[in-house]
Amino acid sequence: AACRGLGGSAPRCTTDPLWKCRAKYTVRPVGMKKTGGRDHTGRLRVRGIGGGHKRRYRMIDFQRLRYEEGAPPEPFTEKVISVRYDPCRRVRRAGSGPGPGSRASRGPLLTPAAGSPCRSADIALVAGGNRKRWIIATENMQPGNTITNSPHISRMAVSASEGDAYPLGALPIGTLICNLESHPGKGAQYIRAAGTCGVLLRKVNGTAIVQLPSKRQMQVLETCVATVGRVSNVDHNKRVIGKAGRNRWLGKRPHTGLWHRKGGWAGRKIKPLPPMKSYVNLPRVKAVE
Amino acid sequence: VFPGVRQAQWLTKTKLVEGLPPAVQSIVDNPALGLQELEERAKHMVSHARLWDTAEVAPRRERYCPMLFENLIHICRLMSAKYPSLSKRMLARNCRIAATWERESILLQVRGLSGILMNSMTPIAPVASKEEILATKEHVLETFYPIAPTIDLQEVKVYKELNDTGQCFRDGYPYSQPHTLFFLESANVRTDRFRPEQLRAKMLMFAFGNALAKARALHGNDPKVLEQPVVVQSIGTDGQLFQFMVFQLNTTDLVSNDGVKNLVWIDSDQNLYERAQCVPEVKKRVVTKPAGISGFQPDTFKKFLALYLHGTV
Repeated sequence: AACRGLGGSAPRCTTDPLWKCRAKYTVRPVGMKKTGGRDHTGRLRVRGIGGGHKRRYRMIDFQRLRYEEGAPPEPFTEKVISVRYDPCRRVRRAGSGPGPGSRASRGPLLTPAAGSPCRSADIALVAGGNRKRWIIATENMQPGNTITNSPHISRMAVSASEGDAYPLGALPIGTLICNLESHPGKGAQYIRAAGTCGVLLRKVNGTAIVQLPSKRQMQVLETCVATVGRVSNVDHNKRVIGKAGRNRWLGKRPHTGLWHRKGGWAGRKIKPLPPMKSYVNLPRVKAVE
Repeated sequence: VFPGVRQAQWLTKTKLVEGLPPAVQSIVDNPALGLQELEERAKHMVSHARLWDTAEVAPRRERYCPMLFENLIHICRLMSAKYPSLSKRMLARNCRIAATWERESILLQVRGLSGILMNSMTPIAPVASKEEILATKEHVLETFYPIAPTIDLQEVKVYKELNDTGQCFRDGYPYSQPHTLFFLESANVRTDRFRPEQLRAKMLMFAFGNALAKARALHGNDPKVLEQPVVVQSIGTDGQLFQFMVFQLNTTDLVSNDGVKNLVWIDSDQNLYERAQCVPEVKKRVVTKPAGISGFQPDTFKKFLALYLHGTV
């Protein structure tokens, strides 16, 4: 089992409405407050949410190229310490359901104790230099691996191994990538779900074109950083819930039983792919007077 | 991240040796000390601390851990009838220790309450021979690339670089040599206690801090190799598991990674007893585990006593 510093003495959950506003990054799990589908006015906004096992949020760092304070902006390596799955959607044992008091939530061995909110991928604790952080794990990430993060784009394409983070301009075309940014430095917002991967299709001028898992194509600047490989937990879509109780442990309340006739929104749709989405601001061609 | 002892080794430029040093081991094996009859006493003491001390069903760890420690020290002190020089010891609780040192251009310091310290008038003789000390020159400290060895350490602004053995141990105080440090993990909740490897790392750091402060007080602040190594022992426990450690400071030159290293002998995870049942466990009308102490290991107590007697025998 991975040793995790001093045993986490963070609270299991909070009633603090400002739990999301934590400014400083921390590795320890942060107590979460469940909303139950209610928004800031207090009224129900989304149906079907409520109950479920208590969870603690682990702050994930989506910006891979985040340098430590005082560190120069150059390639650095990190070591994977532990890969833990997010029990958000995987509650193993029977009878483990809504009984938060019965379980001591420390250590990755005690599985369904806490999870990050609605993330189906696994997260990995990596350490480099003087800091540790959580990142989204790729498919074959094991504790003890070394991963590199680099901001440089060279003329030769880098032969990247899984889990490394490089700008799109440095990767050979045809690599499977995940955790893609739309603007450089923004942090990964695309291709984060379990088992997903995008494909780098071609590189044009200073931009790169990526195919997302929905087969839509996206054009971004080639300095945007993405990680190589598929996101972990590949068999997530093959799991079988098995019983209604497991859905309740995940925090999903039952649907209404009233029969509605389905309208135009239902059924299979076959339509052409939407056009390529471009996040690159090309310089406007000035109209010649 | 990784076992704390490895990190502490790098920070204090120390080489690890498994098991207790031969000098202490010889005290353990010495039959002339009559450790056999003390075994009965030790069992009695464990039962007192774990079972009989309280009006409730079972005493909590906050109570039984210091109580056990007091009892064991009491048995050790009884030996001073045979060895009069044992009476030249004193115990100090909650003493503050402060030591700063530089390690490859990173300034590190150990500050804080260092548990229970036992001082003696005469210093402990160096445990390792000269050849062993010189042999540590070839030993290479392990690197933790890409993780920096100072990971998980608190960053603190240092206004004064303090090297202090404790407020009351000024010059002229008769009991001036640090002999043994005791660490009791007596928090009730498991998350507030240190895990065994963390406890060993804490013992190592505090023993090093004490030794360094004493060496600086004796020989001055310049970094150099000590001809008279300073030896500090350390025992850590959480009421059931004992960790024994003997630390020998050979050099105060800690900036570079080469040269003579310090030595530490660690004997870890020694159980004093297996279970202490207050109420007999009964399954299906049959007593499976009777009340009382089971699985008492006299070796652990012998090692405790040996570390206490080390330096006078």
